[in-house]
Amino acid sequence: MTRLVLVRREQVLKGGQPLAFLIGLVFAMLIGVVLLLISGHDPLAIYGRMVEASLGSPRAWSITLNRAVPLGLAGLAVAVAGSMGLWNIGAEGQILAGAMMAAWVARLGEGWASPLLITAMLVAAVVGGALLASGPAVARAQIGVNEIITTLMLNEVALRLLQWLIHGSWKDPESRGFPLAPMLPDEARLPGLFERAHWGAVIALGVIALFGLVASRTAWGYELRVAGSSGATARYAGISLKRKITTVLILSGGIAGLAGGIELSGNADRITEGISAGYGFAGIIVAALALLRPSGVAAVALLFGAVQVGGLSIQTMGVSSSVSTILQAFILFGAIGAGVFSRYAVRRVNNDKTSSES
Amino acid sequence: MRRRLFSLLAVVLAFGAIASACGSDDSSNEVKAAFIYVGPPGDAGWTWAHDQGRVAAAEATGVETAFVESVPEGTADFANHARDFIDQGFNVIVGTSFGYMDDMLALAEEYPDVVFEHVSGYKNNDTNFGNSFGRMYEPRYLSGMVAGAMTESNLLGYVAAFPIPEVIRGINAFTLGAQATNPDVLVEVVWTSTWFDPAVEGDSAQALLDKGADVIAMHQDSTAAGEKAEAAGARWVSYNSDMSAFAPTAFLTAPVWNWGPRYIDTITQAQEGTYTGGSYWGSMADGIVDLAPIASDVPGDVVAEVADAKQAIIDGELHVFAGPITAQDGSVMVAAGETMDDGSMLGMGAFVEGVIGSTG
Repeated sequence: MTRLVLVRREQVLKGGQPLAFLIGLVFAMLIGVVLLLISGHDPLAIYGRMVEASLGSPRAWSITLNRAVPLGLAGLAVAVAGSMGLWNIGAEGQILAGAMMAAWVARLGEGWASPLLITAMLVAAVVGGALLASGPAVARAQIGVNEIITTLMLNEVALRLLQWLIHGSWKDPESRGFPLAPMLPDEARLPGLFERAHWGAVIALGVIALFGLVASRTAWGYELRVAGSSGATARYAGISLKRKITTVLILSGGIAGLAGGIELSGNADRITEGISAGYGFAGIIVAALALLRPSGVAAVALLFGAVQVGGLSIQTMGVSSSVSTILQAFILFGAIGAGVFSRYAVRRVNNDKTSSES
Repeated sequence: MRRRLFSLLAVVLAFGAIASACGSDDSSNEVKAAFIYVGPPGDAGWTWAHDQGRVAAAEATGVETAFVESVPEGTADFANHARDFIDQGFNVIVGTSFGYMDDMLALAEEYPDVVFEHVSGYKNNDTNFGNSFGRMYEPRYLSGMVAGAMTESNLLGYVAAFPIPEVIRGINAFTLGAQATNPDVLVEVVWTSTWFDPAVEGDSAQALLDKGADVIAMHQDSTAAGEKAEAAGARWVSYNSDMSAFAPTAFLTAPVWNWGPRYIDTITQAQEGTYTGGSYWGSMADGIVDLAPIASDVPGDVVAEVADAKQAIIDGELHVFAGPITAQDGSVMVAAGETMDDGSMLGMGAFVEGVIGSTG
């Protein structure tokens, strides 16, 4: 009996990643054509609209950029942890924690000059995300508690904390009993860049570039990669794994927290439970698509953002949100799936007694 | 369960197909109305009721309508959708969730020629931004009368979303109604902190059933509470729409929405150029809220009593929050001979006597 298995290629296909990416994209869009035809839409018009709404004008670009910012930062957060073989599934909660801290600073800093207030908010956001990640970080480093579970569970904690604040001490006395935090003052709003885009894009790109440099050009980054690929080697080389794990997870949380601060200051009128539209979870996909490389995160986040903005916009043409979501998933899966084939080859193996798993 | 998900999906797809069949040519004075929903029209609840209203308005006025579904609150999505619609020539934007309020206020200033109709908020202007809601406490009271008459354990369960005035008002009205037909009845409240989470809402209903409640009322958009009541052999007062199909034996009745008349008015006013924003809090007399048909096994005298109360409310002879009403903490909520004003009702933050649970 023969079966098909994936075998890791000796070498990643030359120029494979971008090429596979394109092939996957085209393949996925062809499946999408079928889906759109079945649901009674004109695929050309729908795809045209997706491109038009996400990349077809300065305004479209600005909306896509705004969307890409939290996706990119959440993706970077997951990638940073991932580069050490750690999974931060708690970026969603860390985004909320960052937004909460930023909102808290905005309350305290009433009357501060705008640049000072915004800087303080963003710093607080980093601290918020880092704080939420610090528990899982220490638990993982010191006693080996699985960080996937702890970071995941803290998402719920962060959400409940936010609900508690909005329904409790942060409730706006002028909201007639509705659970609403007060509006942010104008000084707390990130200035605009162009059209609807705000400065968050610049900040996010800066952070991603900075981490890319640190990871590839510094001893710290080198140690990180060593520790990520082999714990034993790292120990032999005198790298403290415990310290690395702790710093990396806390850093990861801080980056996600920053996304929350930027969302609050750039996009929101006030802090709400909906401040993160699942960006923390989408960040996992972004990081996976970028093969956990910071350099890839920015590009993937931009594509992801464009697909989401395009996917949302075709809903105003009557495409249901389910079809739009399936279409988005196809496109992203196509890109991921194709990425796999640039690193793995499909082999036919004889499966008698020496069956090999994985 | 799974089969129902698929059929819901099919409904959603069908709606999408229908909406896409509409053209997009526009002339200068033509009104086109776009609806932005917080959930899918296939939810059988809140969004379904609004979509029924949209369809009714489209039929009555002949205007082109379109919708987007499952648009989260508090993100940039709402404004992006609204701008998309406005770019396509839509000039009436209806948003059906509380969390859209600030976005709609800002958009109303940015697009003074577009009518923005917001459901369930409290902000508005006097030109192109209005908010509308219904006095759901009226049919809630009637549904409480039915529940009070049908309970044998004298304990009613209430699976509630969030402790906000709208929900608290509903619980109080339900309790007062139940007390009208059964002076010994108590209403126990469980908060789910959800608007649509069948698992949590079902579990909460089960907890109340386990405590001995034999009628479950609810204030969310899923049908999970009804399914638990059906399985336990208890009774169910649903919400939003007549959900009898989901729990045919348990279903007693439901306070329901009927948005058609309001949306017809909004669109007609936009066509005539007479829309002036402001606040609309429609009553059972207007038809925006109503009581679903009562289950056939409810005794005739109860049905008649409820029908009388309904007529009295419509005629303005019976007010749900007319004194004397005692608050849960024993203080006077409404003195004898007085009636609570709209402002106090809209900001209601305390339970009436007979409710078990806290508003915190």
